[in-house]
Amino acid sequence: MTIPPHDQGGPAGYGQPGASTGSSYVPPPAHKPRTSLTVALEQSRYRLMVTAAVVTAVFGAIGVKLSLATLFAGGGEPRQHVALELDNTTSNRADIIDRNGNLLATSLVTQSLYADPKLVSRPEEAAQKLVSALPELDYKEVLGKLSGDRRFVWLKRNLTPKQQAAVHRLGIPGVSFEREERRFYPAGPLTSHIVGFTGIDNNGLAGMEQGFNKRLTAEPGTPLQLSVDLRLQHVLKKELAATVQEFSAIGAAGIIFDVRNGEVMAMVSLPDFDPQDPTGLDPDTLFNRATLGVYEMGSTFKIFNSALAFDSGKIRVSDAFDAAHPIKIGRFTINDYHNLHRALTVAEVFQHSSNLGSVRMVQQIGIAAQKSFMTKMGFTKPTGLELPENGWPLVPNPWREVNSYTISFGHGISVSPMHTVAAAASVINGGQFHTPTLLRRQPGAEIPTEQVVSRQTSDMMRRMFRFVVADGTGKSADVKGYVVGGKTGTADKQKGRHYQKNSRMSSFLGAFPMQDPRYIVYVLVDEPKATAKTYGYATGGWVAAPAVGRIIKQVGPLLNVPTVDENAPEILNSTYLNAAGSTNWQQSLPPVTAPTPPKGSTVASFPTQTKPR
Amino acid sequence: MKGKTWLFWGGLIAAAGGVLFQTSYDVQDLEEKLAGLNRKIILEQESIQVLKAEWSYLNDPSKLEALAHAYLPLQPTEARQFLALEMIPMRPADAPPPAATTPGLAPLPPMVRAPGAAVPQVAARMPVPAASTGIVPVSATLPAGAAIPKTVPMAKALERAPVVVPAALPAPADPSAARPARIKPAALVPGAARAPSEPAPAAGRMAPNVPTALNRPTELASRPMPVAAPTPAPKAAAAQPSYQPKPTDSLGLLVARLGANR
Repeated sequence: MTIPPHDQGGPAGYGQPGASTGSSYVPPPAHKPRTSLTVALEQSRYRLMVTAAVVTAVFGAIGVKLSLATLFAGGGEPRQHVALELDNTTSNRADIIDRNGNLLATSLVTQSLYADPKLVSRPEEAAQKLVSALPELDYKEVLGKLSGDRRFVWLKRNLTPKQQAAVHRLGIPGVSFEREERRFYPAGPLTSHIVGFTGIDNNGLAGMEQGFNKRLTAEPGTPLQLSVDLRLQHVLKKELAATVQEFSAIGAAGIIFDVRNGEVMAMVSLPDFDPQDPTGLDPDTLFNRATLGVYEMGSTFKIFNSALAFDSGKIRVSDAFDAAHPIKIGRFTINDYHNLHRALTVAEVFQHSSNLGSVRMVQQIGIAAQKSFMTKMGFTKPTGLELPENGWPLVPNPWREVNSYTISFGHGISVSPMHTVAAAASVINGGQFHTPTLLRRQPGAEIPTEQVVSRQTSDMMRRMFRFVVADGTGKSADVKGYVVGGKTGTADKQKGRHYQKNSRMSSFLGAFPMQDPRYIVYVLVDEPKATAKTYGYATGGWVAAPAVGRIIKQVGPLLNVPTVDENAPEILNSTYLNAAGSTNWQQSLPPVTAPTPPKGSTVASFPTQTKPR
Repeated sequence: MKGKTWLFWGGLIAAAGGVLFQTSYDVQDLEEKLAGLNRKIILEQESIQVLKAEWSYLNDPSKLEALAHAYLPLQPTEARQFLALEMIPMRPADAPPPAATTPGLAPLPPMVRAPGAAVPQVAARMPVPAASTGIVPVSATLPAGAAIPKTVPMAKALERAPVVVPAALPAPADPSAARPARIKPAALVPGAARAPSEPAPAAGRMAPNVPTALNRPTELASRPMPVAAPTPAPKAAAAQPSYQPKPTDSLGLLVARLGANR
């Protein structure tokens, strides 16, 4: 607004209306002179309005908030107590259960005793009292803790309720309890190498407790279900322990494996330990021979050598190889345990476990094919089992000719028993490799598989397995009704740079029922000593095979495997093999025992029911 | 007129205030109750956890095998003891129906069941006097003309499992514990070992936890039992005081318990 220069301003100008018509200034109406009273009234009106507006806004806000809080907030403050979910667990770490729901590890609530030394008025008296209530405490140590400067010291973890009551009754100021959880293993040493153990603060230190530490603490409500079966575990451990005792061995390992989906049904490593108290023991007991230990497997590897031979298409089961003359390569001489001084068919090489025949076979196949096959079988990396104790195989590098020779009969490459079992499962189950797992596979869930050998190879390998048990080195593993097949293995142990003649690993890889394999039972005995009963032998066929037989006899019914007659035509059709490599069982039988009509024909009129599984 | 209006509003405000305070105190009470219940639930869950652990501990196969060796004339089954189902001829059509079904003979292996499954056994067995140690045929336990609720056969089945304690356990006040060492397989249910010594209210308290999967309403779990059970049980116990299960029975029971036939 512009003020004209002649306008002197001030209230004096009000008295001269129209005096300055040229200016843009418009004077207020004449009938309402602007007195100081008017100004004051107007001012106070504005002020009142502002005040009213502020008050209205504030009360409006309060009203809105009030209605929000009372009408729309669901009636007041959040509840102090909410009903617990009934399924909820109170522990902070999930249980571990076996495939049937038996507890293998659980968390129990205990009370731990701690002290705040600042609040302990007379440490000597308090320590005296505490030691009288808990005799396992040391007086000097407790006194030192109680008279220290720290505000928190543990006195004793995981009291029993009785001990807690005793300490409670003493009424020592500054000493109180803290709710804690303690891991408890109802199965004890039976599953110690699978489940593992936890430290005092409940973090996993071994086994599944360590491998699944995150999962166990993240979802404490849902138990972790393993694929192992406590009953099988017991049978396996019992028989292994008996074998170890009988042959004064230093250890043993055993695995029961489902060849159809790669589940580990039982796994035992001896000696084992008590997961409740794993500290301060011989570290050897913590060593898992079944997964962490890598060994030269010996003749068990002829399974893979034969499978390689069949799968390459270059060798048939009836082909004969020279097994009379030792093979010299470099400074090594390869010979047989029992040299038969003649040529052997592939079936006989497998039956008698001939090293020479195996070498001749791999000579024909070639090093590159062998290397790629062993890689396919998973022998160059850890098995992928969920345990943290998973051994790396010892693979020759570079893979020379001499390595390929020794690998053909299982020396010069060290793998864990779990490697061997998983690979052998793929050889007999139709050629599908399943990564071994300790977690129960959900029914209907897809199982990751990889076709490693052909179906025909697998079929022939089943016959070879059966041949070894029916008429070979593994006869003592046979169990009537369960059509057992398998392969023995005996490997001299390497001490330093030399092989020792009298310390060996004897093993047997058994599978049943061979007409349609479902389970592998593997037993490895570390340094068995021969006894008089075995005529001085401590080889796989004498040590491990009988154990496998006893195990199959007991686990067969538990696994619901139907028993069959081994000499029934339909069984022989799928399992027969003779030394000449012929699979035609009818030719080989004398005419008198030529196929009789099947027994079932007399009740053929009844509707046949399949046995429920 | 004005005074009446004031009186009306004043009275309304006072009434509303009173109701509000009453409600508020009620809610506080309920909250406290809820907190108490929550504490109890946690306590129960913790003790259930302990019982589960103990159950598994007592069911350790090595222990069971030692007990079976000591008390049972059983050997591991062999292949020759099995027979394919198609080898068994069908029953002729005119054969009489089987005499009595035995609902208690093949219970699910308890170790496989849900955690709460051990509870109904306790609840169902509570009213039964400890004297009824024999296996009681269902027909004998039914009072003549008594209206039997649908739930009874199951309850009877549970009753039939006698409360016997393995000799290796500390014996509670149960006369059957003083019996000779032979143990009926049904008695190897360790959950039963504790049942008689527990205070009676335990059954009522735990009853709501009964899983509904047992084909009966939860409320019935404890209710029909005192009506039906106490009267017939002593009678039956008197009728057959010294019944011993046949070896075949025990075999069947053991197989059922081990879950081997499933």
